[in-house]
Amino acid sequence: MASVRLENLRKEFGSVVAVKELNLHFPDKKFAAILGPSGCGKTTTMNMIAGLETPTRGSIYFDDRRMNDVPPGKRDVGFVFQNYAIFTHMTVAENIGFGLKIRGVDEATIRREVGQIAELLELTDMLNVNAGRLSVNDMQKVALGRSMIVKPRIFLLDEPFSNLDAAFRAYMRGELKRIQREIGQTMIYVTHDQVEAMSMADNIAVMDFGVLQQFGTPDEIYNQPVNLFVANFIGSPNMNFIPCYFRSEDGKGYLVQKRGNARILLDDRRRQLLEQHPGNQDLIWGARPEHLTLHSEPSRSEYLRATVRFLEPLGPKTVVHLELGDQDTIKVIAHPSYREKAGTVQWIEINPKYLHVFDAKTGFAIR
Amino acid sequence: MANIRLENVSKRFGRVTALQSVNLEIHHGEFFCVLGPPGAGKTTLLRLIVGLEKPDEGTIYIDGDPVNDVHPRDRDIAMIFQNLALYPDKTVFDNIAFPLRERKMAAEEIRARVAQVARMLHIEHLLERKPGKLSGGERQRVAIARALVRTPRAYLMDEPLANLDALLRLEMRIELKRLQEQLNETLVYVTSDQVEAMSMADRIAVLYKGVVQQCDTPDNVYNLPANRRVATIVGSPPMNFLTCQVQRMDGQLHLVHSGFGFQVVGSDHPLWDCLCRALPAVREVLVGVRPEDIRLYPERPTEVIAFPARVAVSEPLGAETIVDVQLGRDIIKVITPPTQYFAEKQEVWVAFDMAKVHVMDAQTGERIYTTGAPEQLQCILPGTCA
Amino acid sequence: MTRRPTWQIVLRYALVLIVVGLFTFPTYWMVTMAFKPKVEWSTAHGTIYWVPQNPTLENFETVLTEYRGKFFRANQSSALPSIRSSIIVSIGGTLFALLIGTLAAYGLSRFSVDTGDLPWYIALGRLALLILVLLPFMVLWAWLGIIRYWYGILSFTLLGIGADQLIGRLLALYYRGPTGSLAFSILQLRMFPPMAIVIPVMIMWSAFKLIDTWYGLVAVYGVVTFPFVVWLMKSFFDEIPRELDEAAIVDGASNWGAFFKVVLPLAKGGLASTALFVFILNWSDFLIALLLTTRDWPTIPVFLNSLVSSEIGAQHGPKAALGLLAVIPPVVFGILIQRYLVRGLTFGAIKR
Repeated sequence: MASVRLENLRKEFGSVVAVKELNLHFPDKKFAAILGPSGCGKTTTMNMIAGLETPTRGSIYFDDRRMNDVPPGKRDVGFVFQNYAIFTHMTVAENIGFGLKIRGVDEATIRREVGQIAELLELTDMLNVNAGRLSVNDMQKVALGRSMIVKPRIFLLDEPFSNLDAAFRAYMRGELKRIQREIGQTMIYVTHDQVEAMSMADNIAVMDFGVLQQFGTPDEIYNQPVNLFVANFIGSPNMNFIPCYFRSEDGKGYLVQKRGNARILLDDRRRQLLEQHPGNQDLIWGARPEHLTLHSEPSRSEYLRATVRFLEPLGPKTVVHLELGDQDTIKVIAHPSYREKAGTVQWIEINPKYLHVFDAKTGFAIR
Repeated sequence: MANIRLENVSKRFGRVTALQSVNLEIHHGEFFCVLGPPGAGKTTLLRLIVGLEKPDEGTIYIDGDPVNDVHPRDRDIAMIFQNLALYPDKTVFDNIAFPLRERKMAAEEIRARVAQVARMLHIEHLLERKPGKLSGGERQRVAIARALVRTPRAYLMDEPLANLDALLRLEMRIELKRLQEQLNETLVYVTSDQVEAMSMADRIAVLYKGVVQQCDTPDNVYNLPANRRVATIVGSPPMNFLTCQVQRMDGQLHLVHSGFGFQVVGSDHPLWDCLCRALPAVREVLVGVRPEDIRLYPERPTEVIAFPARVAVSEPLGAETIVDVQLGRDIIKVITPPTQYFAEKQEVWVAFDMAKVHVMDAQTGERIYTTGAPEQLQCILPGTCA
Repeated sequence: MTRRPTWQIVLRYALVLIVVGLFTFPTYWMVTMAFKPKVEWSTAHGTIYWVPQNPTLENFETVLTEYRGKFFRANQSSALPSIRSSIIVSIGGTLFALLIGTLAAYGLSRFSVDTGDLPWYIALGRLALLILVLLPFMVLWAWLGIIRYWYGILSFTLLGIGADQLIGRLLALYYRGPTGSLAFSILQLRMFPPMAIVIPVMIMWSAFKLIDTWYGLVAVYGVVTFPFVVWLMKSFFDEIPRELDEAAIVDGASNWGAFFKVVLPLAKGGLASTALFVFILNWSDFLIALLLTTRDWPTIPVFLNSLVSSEIGAQHGPKAALGLLAVIPPVVFGILIQRYLVRGLTFGAIKR
């Protein structure tokens, strides 16, 4: 096992900068995720860690050893890709044991190790089945097992679940996290699916356009996004963003909606912060749909008036789309039995604890 | 507007059966979703309706007329392919105009209609570009425009949002729904994403291995799934299934699991009837509970009966946390609010929402019964019986 | 990075120069020879001129005008008819092959008919045709004394076709896609030596009075290059997503409409490169034209051959001149279609 440290890592493809001065530290024995939309440089980063791409500049360290010049075969890195590469002409046991066999490990040890891995992955019943006859789901498990058995120092996974069906994906998420905890393997998981990153990882690196946006625990990423991109990318349905400006009246601070007149009263700390902020006439406030509550009466003055436009029933919850002011739409998560008609006036309560304010120009959160 | 009816439709490719005796009726102006995992036969279903494939058995009716032998061009149905199938060498304008030109419409009218549709979908500024120069969302709109421009009898869409990134998908989902409400046309929408189906559809047909498992409103598909398959396909994470032994002792009927037990109350209860009739042949049933219908307590609660369990792992999602809990010999998934924190290996107490427990046949997976009120099933601790 | 020693660099460039020289020297020799006067190209007096001393157009004149009694036999015509002949039969053969080949390729690419044992029947049918039709002809003519050495010709033909069948079928068994075997069976048509078919064809053509006609040659060229067209165009069509034709059909086009309005424009690049390839094959063919033409329609290669004979000696200079002229059409054709020889035209049809 080893930690991975990236120092000023940069990768250019011709004139395209795929990864820009990346500094990251993935701790030992932890589950880290690199998350971002397609083309954000996450796969390039992983390929550089694996040694499949040479960095243009910067260094890669495993523990304290610089790995830039170590060829991929000698880095002791395990891989699982989206397209499980398994040998369809071998049994499951032969597939899993392959890595040990080519390293010349004796039969008895291989059998014991394969048994352990199979148990971990719940493949014990299938060890003698020909791998070509497995379902897609089980094939991916075999691919996992085959990479795991050699106990690499770093285990890299590139969207390994994207070919699996939704139900099995949800199951594998829990399984992989449990396995990682049990064997304490350092894992780096590349994905564009925020649910996968959030649910499994100890640490998440959010990337966009080759630039690291934020690195932190799922909780930090979710509750303290540093900029608009992270706030927007994490969470489904995504965060509501309402363009607004700051106004001070009678010693009280308000955020006033630009396309409408919805006002949010600010607490003292926020008011002082925003008063001193130079771009305070061009702001965006953000609130997650699950942190908003709908009321049918304006029982408190700070509720925001909005009109229901339509509902999206999702089963365990209903997403209500409302119109706030003239053109802004706002989503609120409501109870699954919520059935108000379009056009109904509702009052939105915002929990100030979960209110985010961003500078509209720079996109950075103001905290 | 069209009414589409499939009667006993089967389709085979060589030895593979893609669709098996499908009966469906899609009404005028309905947003109809076909939901199923990859390989369920969803695309084949669309291709049969539009006429790109011929059924081996059965008949397809559009507005009451059998169309099995009608060429696709004469069916007047628009289809949006999963990969969109935009003509790469033609400009956006020519792409959208293609169906009209095939109908020998006058150039003047074509220009007017393309402009109208382009305005509706906010792609007026793209008309002179080629598809290769567009973003994913823009291509999506062009494909929709090409379907809309000729006001067909019905629209078919094959996972049109599957290749878009998550945020764009969210946006397009809302837009599609609004569009359908505006047009009020028949729309058959194929997807493997249950969220899309649940949020947009008037009715959902759940397809699995070429067989329609259930065809109903989103509410019913979610709350009264016809069988284990449907309950797994709809809902994320899927419903938990726990195998229980059916035991009859001293005039009592019990469902016993390694981690918990239920007692069926009242011999006049339909579930009682159903289970007794099947006994002794059926010794096992599946108890299904959705992750959001389970609650976890760090301490033993006094107000409800709860069962001891242990946290295996927890998956924080931000808005909620999924906790994998070892209950007896099974691992179940529970949705908890993010404010509640559970450590790994922590001892917890599990309580079910007794109004939302499903009982399914262990062999066939068919739903036998769903509780509506807590009194029908009562919790007992395992070990207190048998 | 360490610098390589100088001698390695020198050696590498020396090797490159030698290879380049090997490939360019013949071209150089042909071009220069075309402009040399007879004293320079003739080897009779043993001096070799590396560079033309007195450049002249005399060779072009010789080959393009009708001469009587100077170098050629009295009835020897100029090369102009052969150039015309080459252009007509090459273009005609190319168009013919493209017309039938493209349609066949589209069918093979799009309609996955379960061909089953069809390729075997095709193979058997061809054998039967050979035995039932050609054999009696040959036996008859051999008996009548029209052809001599018929035994040799027959065994050669049978050997050619037999080998083709054997190799082709084995390969087809190994390479088995849904339509692979049928398409492969077509490509297989080209796997036996042209020599093997051209003699039977010559016999048939003379029976049908097709020898020394432009359409007879066009037909043979079309059939001989047809398998290449099918194979190449099929792979181009395979690259065009099937959903495009289906979308066109759903949008209201007929099956033919989908092909001509959507698929074919996208396959333009493929069509152009296939056309160039087939044209070059036809243009440079010697064997078929030699056997199927006599007086009216000899092509450039056949005419070139006639420039060496016991009566007129080896006319190297005029030969080089005509050779140089013969290079022009393919090059011009290539330049004309160059902009279509770009692949990746389907970009943007499909979301990835």
